[in-house]
Amino acid sequence: MNIEVAEERTDDALVLLPVGRLDSSNARAFESIVMERIGGGERRLIVDFSRLDFISSAGMRVLLIAAKALKTADGSLVLCAMKNHIQEVFRISGFDRIIPITETREASANNSA
Amino acid sequence: MMDEFHVTLSPRLSAVRSLSRMVEEFGDANRLPHPKIYMINLALDELITNSVTYGFDGVANPRIEVTVRIEGDALVLTTVDNGRRFDPTEAKEPDVDAPVDRRPIGGLGLHIIKTFADRVAYEFENGRNRLTLEHDLSSSGSGERRRSDEEHR
Repeated sequence: MNIEVAEERTDDALVLLPVGRLDSSNARAFESIVMERIGGGERRLIVDFSRLDFISSAGMRVLLIAAKALKTADGSLVLCAMKNHIQEVFRISGFDRIIPITETREASANNSA
Repeated sequence: MMDEFHVTLSPRLSAVRSLSRMVEEFGDANRLPHPKIYMINLALDELITNSVTYGFDGVANPRIEVTVRIEGDALVLTTVDNGRRFDPTEAKEPDVDAPVDRRPIGGLGLHIIKTFADRVAYEFENGRNRLTLEHDLSSSGSGERRRSDEEHR
């Protein structure tokens, strides 16, 4: 199953905005998009969660893979604009300690610079 | 208003989406808090994904029964399946403190749903796995969740 992912650009980062649900049925599609961008040379990625309502561990797995790939490549991954219930899932998974999460995209841009 | 819904499905990843819509409708009809509905849907995504991936090798006529009901002050999710015996309460906990380059990719889903539930029970009877996850409706969630809500204030 596909996932709609909007893309925008800040001064030096690519912003990905997944829309709706990121779950076991479309995590592979999201992984392809993210890894294609990293493979294409993107080094500063921001994933903006403002249009995402649901994420399961299958979706979080993709973010972990991206964080590992970008760390190896001296890049950065920052997440922003998470709804409270999603942020809570990241917190109990310990993801908030390995991937920076900011309130706003502007703060993400500063964080990834 | 109905205080229970029950569905039997054959385990496929595509079943998760339609099931999730049913849970949302059930939640709306019963005016359940959105974070509780989120937790039920998250649990169903994790459990059904696990079952489809690992649970039904060589099982004829694989089936998962899902029941969501309001019982007193608790929202109760029960799944019963005829797959391979698997006790999620005994599953190894992932290391959620490891640094990014040593962080394992798997094992997270069960950790999340067990942490959020107020009570978890598993039994294997008549060749079927039965898992029950209870969420108290009076609290904002598990102890983990309450602590975080305080942080948000």
